[in-house]
Amino acid sequence: MAKHIVCRFDELDVGKITPAKIGRTPIIVSKLPSGQVRAMGGRCPHQGAGLEHGCISGRTESEAPNELAFCDYGETLRCPWHGFEFSLIDGRSVVPGTGHLPMKLRLFDVEVEGDDVVVTI
Amino acid sequence: MRIIDTDVHESFSSLTDLVPYLPEPYKSWIAAGAWRGFSQPFAYTSPGNGNRADVRSADGSASVSDYSVMRAQLLDPYNLTYAVLTGYFYPTGLKLQYGLATALARAYNDYVVEHWISKDKRFIGSIQINARDPEAAAREIDRMAAHPQMRQVMLPVVDDIAYGHPMYKPIFVAAERNRLMVAFHHTTFAQGPYGMGLHYMERHCLIPISLMPQVISLIANGVFDSYPNLRFMILEGGFSWLPHVMWRMDREYRQGRVEVPWIKKLPSQHCRERLRLSTQPTEDISSGDWMKLIDLMGTDDILVFSTDYPHFDFDDPNAAIPKAIPEATREKIIWKNAANFYELDMHDKTIPNQAAE
Ligand code: FES
Repeated sequence: MAKHIVCRFDELDVGKITPAKIGRTPIIVSKLPSGQVRAMGGRCPHQGAGLEHGCISGRTESEAPNELAFCDYGETLRCPWHGFEFSLIDGRSVVPGTGHLPMKLRLFDVEVEGDDVVVTI
Repeated sequence: MRIIDTDVHESFSSLTDLVPYLPEPYKSWIAAGAWRGFSQPFAYTSPGNGNRADVRSADGSASVSDYSVMRAQLLDPYNLTYAVLTGYFYPTGLKLQYGLATALARAYNDYVVEHWISKDKRFIGSIQINARDPEAAAREIDRMAAHPQMRQVMLPVVDDIAYGHPMYKPIFVAAERNRLMVAFHHTTFAQGPYGMGLHYMERHCLIPISLMPQVISLIANGVFDSYPNLRFMILEGGFSWLPHVMWRMDREYRQGRVEVPWIKKLPSQHCRERLRLSTQPTEDISSGDWMKLIDLMGTDDILVFSTDYPHFDFDDPNAAIPKAIPEATREKIIWKNAANFYELDMHDKTIPNQAAE
């Protein structure tokens, strides 16, 4: 296990993607509305888009056609290419994947130490 | 492995980019903002508003009209051997003012030659026309066919044209006369049988249903038989429907040939010999399902790879066609089928990015 300082805590914000690297591996970091920090692999598990170009927003929900509710701002990542949605709470795709299509972000162990965001892998 | 991307969308940054290439009075009209161009009748829902959200110029602005961006994001990193430019500005969408539409097609072709095709030998060009005036379209085909990188005529799929209708004959005659191929691509006007649906997602699901009738129309109305040197490319229209269309048409032909005896081959044979379908968007099927579909088509000659760059539903060349597909078939999809379609080895003996400097 090694610790890597990936960015400063004050670079993070809710709804903002902060790109970083561990060695040559791209990752992205963001802050949840709860104050927790998320660090995850920078490539989309679908076809490999660079997630630093995606967007973090809310999730739409509805029980009736043409009536959209918008909720949980800051907790959903959308891929910059095909727009698949991933929960930043557990890394899972909002629409489940199937056998040959694993749809989960790689979440890293992350802590805030002083001003630094530190990932352990 | 060599690779041909059969569906790449170059663009202008604004309609006024065409002004230098337009004759009067259209030049003054467009310069003065008399027409604002086509706009889609729906809102895009992807993060990049219809394009990949990472297609950006150096200054951070969204850009789908910049050759250097395309080169840096697509042509070089994926080491494309060829990229077929297919546009997404289709003057056939204008249902009136045919003179303007024809002039716009002509101006767009000249714009693309100057700003895109002449910049990179890897580009294969599509001649844009106003299909609603087939005689004028044929003249434009004759004019543009002289350019060595122009290899096909683009027929946009709108909401009211099935291209097998006899009125489009001059277009196919001109394509064949100039040894060009014919490609079909959807537009922002393409519809399913009940319109576009009520949601963007619905409209996007309906796109293949706007392309299927083109295949049926071309075969039923004798276009495949009348122009034996033409080959036909369906772009971005799906491909898993083809076995159904082939079986259905064969059955209908067997029971109804009496009405359409100008069809000289089983429709499925016409499809296998001269119809090609691009793979994007690949629908995330497993490698086993790819091979089942190819088996049902009866040949692995039909599918050709495309990315659809810079649009949001881009297929990554390294990810979209599963590596588990047998290597010979994968190579056909990524290279050989399209190389044969465009007769690349016959047109020029040198592969551009493998040529000695
Ligand atoms: S590459 Fe991310 S959703 Fe497809």
